[in-house]
Amino acid sequence: MKKTSLKGLDLTAYTETLSNGLDVIFIPFENKSNYYISYATRFGSEVTNFTPADEKRPHKVPDGIAHFLEHKMFEQESGEDPFAYFSKSGTGANASTSYDSTQYICYGTKNFLDNLRYLIQYVNAPYYTDENVEKEKGIIAEELKMYADLPDVQLETRLRENVYHVHPRRIDIGGTEEEIYKITKEDLYLCYNNFYSPNNMFLLVVGNFPMEEAMSVIHQELDSRENLPRAVIAPIKEKKSVRKKTDSFTGNIQVPKIGMGLKIAISDLGEYDDLELDLYLTMFTTMLFGSSSLFRERARNDKLLNNFYCDWDNTEEYKTFLILAATNHPESLIDEIRKEFAKHELDEAMFNRMKKVWIANEVKMADYIDSTVHNVYDDMIRYHRVISNKVDTIRHMDMKTLEKIVSRIDFDNVSVVTMRPQEEIL
Amino acid sequence: MEYVKKDLGSYQLHLIQTDQFKTITVRVAFRSPVVKEEITVRNILCDMFLQSSSKYPSKRDLTIQAQELYAADIQTNNSRLGNYNNLDVYLSVLHDKYTEKGNFQKALQFLNEIIFHPDVHAQKFNGEKLEIVKNTMRSNLSSLKEDGASYSLMRLFEVMDKSRVSSYRMVGYLDDLEKVTPEFLYQYYQKMIRSDMVDVFVIGDIDFKEMTRMVREAIPIKTVKRQRVPYLLEDIRPRARRLFAKEVVDTSQSKLAIGCRCHGLTSYERNYALTLYNIILGGSGDSKLFKEVRETYSLCYVINSVPNKLDHLILIRAGIDKENYSKSLELIEKNLQDMRKGNFTDDEIKVAQEYFCTALDEVLDSPSRIMDNYYMMELIGTDDLEEKRRKIMQVDRADIIRVAKKVKMDTVFLLEGDSHEEN
Repeated sequence: MKKTSLKGLDLTAYTETLSNGLDVIFIPFENKSNYYISYATRFGSEVTNFTPADEKRPHKVPDGIAHFLEHKMFEQESGEDPFAYFSKSGTGANASTSYDSTQYICYGTKNFLDNLRYLIQYVNAPYYTDENVEKEKGIIAEELKMYADLPDVQLETRLRENVYHVHPRRIDIGGTEEEIYKITKEDLYLCYNNFYSPNNMFLLVVGNFPMEEAMSVIHQELDSRENLPRAVIAPIKEKKSVRKKTDSFTGNIQVPKIGMGLKIAISDLGEYDDLELDLYLTMFTTMLFGSSSLFRERARNDKLLNNFYCDWDNTEEYKTFLILAATNHPESLIDEIRKEFAKHELDEAMFNRMKKVWIANEVKMADYIDSTVHNVYDDMIRYHRVISNKVDTIRHMDMKTLEKIVSRIDFDNVSVVTMRPQEEIL
Repeated sequence: MEYVKKDLGSYQLHLIQTDQFKTITVRVAFRSPVVKEEITVRNILCDMFLQSSSKYPSKRDLTIQAQELYAADIQTNNSRLGNYNNLDVYLSVLHDKYTEKGNFQKALQFLNEIIFHPDVHAQKFNGEKLEIVKNTMRSNLSSLKEDGASYSLMRLFEVMDKSRVSSYRMVGYLDDLEKVTPEFLYQYYQKMIRSDMVDVFVIGDIDFKEMTRMVREAIPIKTVKRQRVPYLLEDIRPRARRLFAKEVVDTSQSKLAIGCRCHGLTSYERNYALTLYNIILGGSGDSKLFKEVRETYSLCYVINSVPNKLDHLILIRAGIDKENYSKSLELIEKNLQDMRKGNFTDDEIKVAQEYFCTALDEVLDSPSRIMDNYYMMELIGTDDLEEKRRKIMQVDRADIIRVAKKVKMDTVFLLEGDSHEEN
């Protein structure tokens, strides 16, 4: 295995790519008692339109199919429930689907080799029948309702619908009730066969475990798996503009909420390393809207802000900065945020302080198996590699580059949604 | 890992030496018997600690100082532990070997500044800051129904027995919020510092002697107090006839919340047999409720059970379609009955034991869980990890059946989703 030191974090990553293309990543922690295994595919909710291997025409599968497939992975031909198998050794198990990936995890302190083998085996053995597919629909419908009832989710969904014209990120990861009721076992097999192939997957193991034995289990279980020719995912023709600049709706809430989305075409920003670009953009919005920003201080003192949440939504061609907030004064808050974007003053002292904070946070996170798993997982999905020099990359960030990148952002390309309490319109 | 407890007169200092973490974590725990009208003011105090101090006049100044200490993390939390209200202030900071010499000492001074030098003038907290805190809290307290899952639990507890401590809303109350003035807040703050019982924990790669000296300086509490009420709530009988209640909200999903009383448990039963009982019933992804109500009948996505040991309760909750209310309730009742009849396998007991032991193993990977474990040993006299492991393995089928017979469904609350929306 290839040994790479994660500089500044006291961690070492061991990586190997199997002959069929499957990436294996080990990050050992000797001073912890548990382990965490993630078996993942780069197949998430945004893939619904593709030309399968060996076929000529594109297929449109129902929205929410990646998440549905994740649920159905737990169905085994033997009738054994993977949760039950892992429980026998007190091992936790779970799975999750995002826009761009799906992962199956198990974590515990005992029975490592058997659990590793079992995790690989059950994810490698889909078993879909008309009956078990039908049965899942009621469960998933309740899951979708649970989220759809949350006002914050309603707001984010509306915002995404207004930022994106056609991109699947307009649609909830779980899909819609109407769509999931269309799903058949044939749809599931089609997705599984095309996207759960070794060259589209990776296996990440972090924690206290025997590396050599783990590798030999992996070779036994995975070496013989073959790839289908690659499916061709239909290109997404998303326009640069936001779909709708302003919008408002009412919801079952007491305090108004606002959502804003700044959509940036990556091609407008110039040529940068993908990791660096993300760091600079995040640095920019942290300086503008982070917990030590002047904006937050001002908005707090003017009582414009009750809750504030922001994050980047990263697609292949776009970076969208999403803001969600609760406020009693939606117009003033929107106004303040617009002004902040327009002004975008960058203070060098703050820039340097944030670098120090980020480096400290990287070190802190490297203390925890679960944070390390999340970090490395995200890096594998976004950058297709283990990032060994993040601390150095942060250390070497400079103001000039930041200013240059920021100067190319079109700050008018913003979508704004206001959500008001129902009573107001009555 | 090495643990010592020192009685510093006015508080207990718990020091845990381990080189397993890159951080040093400090927890200062204030507690006093819970009083309903004080919950809100304690919540406000938690937020005010992080809003400003005498040396750092704004939240931004405080945040910048924390960032300068290599992203020192300060958090506050107000919660209930049985009959007590517990207010924690946490500091977590990288060990000097990852930052610079003296950084931890400065971080500890920062903690001292936040707790003992608040933004107070002329016996009053800063009024502007108080308004900011109240404003946000008011907004949150007006929006409780947005989170149906936790709102349904609050309502369940109130319906079950409004006079009991277990029904108190730890998020606080709007009425109490309006009563908090800068003067009152300061009076309460002084009372808390003076008369709350205090435990201080420090965990990390530390030297006991040096740390004791540093903490003595940083936590200058002088008054001596003693415990007045027990931690456990009074163990009362379940009601003779089950109580049903509901409230209608404008959502598509309904939340079912069920309170079961556990009456007459010995402490061994409460700490061990009940734990296994709960894991088998609804405490894991492999539990009876999960398998039957979700997997077999597809009635829900979320279903689980949680014990509130200090309150003598087991809570069962599920997110369902309102049409499936009777069916879900019937299945839950059947599973409670199955537990009483002993309709569970030896394998299920073994799995639950393994599940519990893994949770014990994992305690050692987290500074906050290690501190929690020692705190519970101190407060309630729970066993240490080894003893817990030994005792859980001794629980047998008869113990679990005996506990199952002492668990009774008492109150059923439905937050009924009645959506008027078209989509």
